Amino acid sequence: MSKFFRSFVFVAVAFSFLLAACGTSAVPTATEAMPATQAPAATSAPASAATPTPLAPGSVTLTGTGSTFQFPAEQAYAEFFPGVDPAVVINYTGTGSGAGKKAIIDGTVDFAGSDAVLNPDEITAGKDLQIYPFLAGATVIAYNLPSLDPKNDPKLILDGKTLADIYMGKITKWNDPAIAALNPKIASKLPAQPIFTVHRADGSGTTEIFTNALTAFSSDWTAGHGTVIDWPTDKAGTGKGGNGNPGVTAEIAKNQYSLGYVEYAYAVQNNLPFAQMVNKAGNVVTASPDSTKAAMTDFANAFTPQLTAVIVDAPGANSWPIAGYTYIIIHQTSMTDCVKAQKLVEYIHWILTNPAAVKYATDLGFIPLPNAVQQKVLDTLGKVTCSGQPVHW
Amino acid sequence: MKNISISKRNTWQERLNRFTRHGDIPWSLLIGAMAILTLVVVIAIAWMLWTQSADARAKIGWDFFRPTLDATWNPAKDIYQAWPFIYGTLITSLVAIVLAVPISLGIAVFLAELCPERLRLPLNWMIEMLAAIPSVVYGLWGIFVFLPAVVTPVGEFLSHLSVLPGFTGTLFTGPISEDGTSRLAAGLILTIMVIPTITAISRDVLLAIPNSQREAAMGLGSTRWEMIWQVLLPYGLSGILGAVILGLGRALGETMAVTMVMGNANEATGSLLKAGYTMASLLALQFKEAVTPLHTEAMIELGFTLFAITLILNLFARFLVWQVARRTPQEARA
Repeated sequence: MSKFFRSFVFVAVAFSFLLAACGTSAVPTATEAMPATQAPAATSAPASAATPTPLAPGSVTLTGTGSTFQFPAEQAYAEFFPGVDPAVVINYTGTGSGAGKKAIIDGTVDFAGSDAVLNPDEITAGKDLQIYPFLAGATVIAYNLPSLDPKNDPKLILDGKTLADIYMGKITKWNDPAIAALNPKIASKLPAQPIFTVHRADGSGTTEIFTNALTAFSSDWTAGHGTVIDWPTDKAGTGKGGNGNPGVTAEIAKNQYSLGYVEYAYAVQNNLPFAQMVNKAGNVVTASPDSTKAAMTDFANAFTPQLTAVIVDAPGANSWPIAGYTYIIIHQTSMTDCVKAQKLVEYIHWILTNPAAVKYATDLGFIPLPNAVQQKVLDTLGKVTCSGQPVHW
Repeated sequence: MKNISISKRNTWQERLNRFTRHGDIPWSLLIGAMAILTLVVVIAIAWMLWTQSADARAKIGWDFFRPTLDATWNPAKDIYQAWPFIYGTLITSLVAIVLAVPISLGIAVFLAELCPERLRLPLNWMIEMLAAIPSVVYGLWGIFVFLPAVVTPVGEFLSHLSVLPGFTGTLFTGPISEDGTSRLAAGLILTIMVIPTITAISRDVLLAIPNSQREAAMGLGSTRWEMIWQVLLPYGLSGILGAVILGLGRALGETMAVTMVMGNANEATGSLLKAGYTMASLLALQFKEAVTPLHTEAMIELGFTLFAITLILNLFARFLVWQVARRTPQEARA
C-alpha cells in the first residue's frame, strides 16, 4: 500500500509542479508584452495623450484580431503607439478576416481587422458595429515573359476586359489579338505560348480586391468575388494557386509565360515587373500610391452607411483600377469600459492622422487615405459613444 | 458491541488494504482511464466535426460528395462539391503507398537480413532521421531540388506515354507545368515521407522473427532469397501490413509538404501531371480566411470526411491484418 501511495503522491506532486510551472510562466509573458522600452515616436504624440489622471504604463490593453493583410501595419503600430501613449498596449493577431469579424461580433476583442465588409447577417448580429477604412492596398499583375527585355522593352499593358478574359480562359495565348492591340510596341515579341494563370490558393483580401475588379471589368465574369473563389482557368488545367504573395511570386518566377496578381507592396519590395493597366477613362496607368489615392478620391462619396466602399475600376483619369480598403471594425455605441473606448478612439485617430503612423504604413507599401476620405472617416469616429457619453480623441 | 464496531473498522481498513496492497487494482484503473482517454478524444473529435457541420450537411446534402471532378468549390457563391479534394487525397496516397511499399520492404530486408554489420548502424540512423525531418522541410526541398530535378522530367516522360495505346487515359494527360507542381509531385514527396515509417517498422518485424525459422528454411535447402520471400515475409506479413497502415495514415493526413508542391488548383481532368488539392491542403489554405459561415461548415464537413476515410481505411487494413493472421498457422509461429 505504502508503495502505491508513494508513487501516487509522486505523480500528484509532479502534476501540481507542472501546473505551477505553467502558472508562473504565464506571468513573465504578460510583462514581456508591456512595452517599457519602446519610445521612438514619442515626439509626435497627439495632445490627447496626456489624460487628466495619467494611467499606469501598460495598464490598457487593446486587443485586436483578424485580417492578415493589414497585419504588418498593425504590427508597426503596436510597436510605436506605446511610445506615444505608454498606458496602451496594442495586441493584434492575424487570424484572418473571417475570424476577426466573428471575434468582434462575439465581443472577445476590442477591435477587428478585416478586408471583407460585414454581410447583412453579421450587421444584424453585431448590432452597433462600425467599419472604419484606414488604409488601402493596390493589386498588380506580375508576369513572366522571357521574350521581353525588362530594361529596354516597355512594360506589358492590359485592360480590364482582357484581364478578365485571360482569367476566364477565353484568351489563352500571349499573341492573342486583344493583347497585341494593347501592346503595339512589343506585339512582335508576344509568343504563341499558352498563358498560365496564377492565383492565391489561401483565402486572401488580395483575391477579394482582384475578383471585385474582374467583376467590375467584365459582365461575363461569373465566378463571383471573395477571399476564395473557384477559378475558371483551374478547371482548364492552365491555372495554379500559390500560398501567399511569396507563393504566387514563386509560381510566376518558375513558370515561363505565366501571370498572376500580387500585392503592390510585395511587388515593389521584390522588384517584380508588373503590368500597366488601361483604366476606365482609357488612360494607361501604373500602380502607385498616387494613382491608388486617386481611385479612393473618385469613390469618396460612394461610402455605404457602414463606411465601406468598393474602389475598383475607378473612373478618374489617373486612377489605378484594382484597389481596395482594409478596415478596422469596432463597437460604435455599446462599449462599456470607457477608458478602453477612449484609448481605442485615440489609437484609430492616431493611425489615421499622425504623420509618423502614416509613414510606417506607407513604408510597408500600404496606401493612406486621401483627405476627402479621411475627413469622412474622422466624422464617423467622432460619433463613438461609451455608456451614452461621447468619446473624443 | 465494542467488538462489532472494531471489526467494522477493520473490514473497512482491510478492504482498502486489500484493494491497494499490490497496487494492481488502482494501477489497472489508472491504465484503463488512460486507454479510455484515447477513445474519448476520438469520439470528441468526431462529435465536434459532426455537430459543427450540421448546417452544411442540411444545406448541401449529398451534392457535397457527387463523384465528378468537374466540381465547383466556390465560397463566393456558396457552392461546395468536395470530390476533387477527396480524389486528390486518395490518388496521392495511392501513388505514395504503391511506390513506397516495395522500396521500404527492400530496405527493411536489407537492414534485417543482408546488411554488413558496419553499415547497419549508420543506415538505421539515416532511416530514423528521415522520419524525423519536419514536413515543411520536405516541402522546401521538394520545391527547390526534387521538383525541378526529378518530377518535371519524369512528368514530361509520362506525358509522352499518353500517345501509346495503353496510356491514353486521363492519368497521364500532360503537359506538366515547368515548375513541376502537380499531383505526381505530391505523390512522390509523400513516397519519400512514408518510406522511413514503413521501413523502420518492417525492419523491427523482420528482426523479431525467431532464428529457428531461418535455420529451418536453410536446413531444408532454400536459398537466401527463398528464405526471405517464402518464409520471413509471410511470417511477418501482419506486422508489415501494420507498418503500411501507419504509412498510409501519414500520407492521408500530410498537409504542409503537399500544399507546397501540389499546385493548389481545382482541376478537372484528374491527371497526375496537373495541379490539384488534397482535403488537408484545402483546409490548411482556406480555413483561416473563410468568410461565409457555410464555407466554414463545408470545410468542417470536409474534415469529417477525411476523418471518416482515414478511419475506414484503417478498419479495412485491420481486417486484412486479421485475415492474414488467421491464415498463418499458429504452429508456424511457435
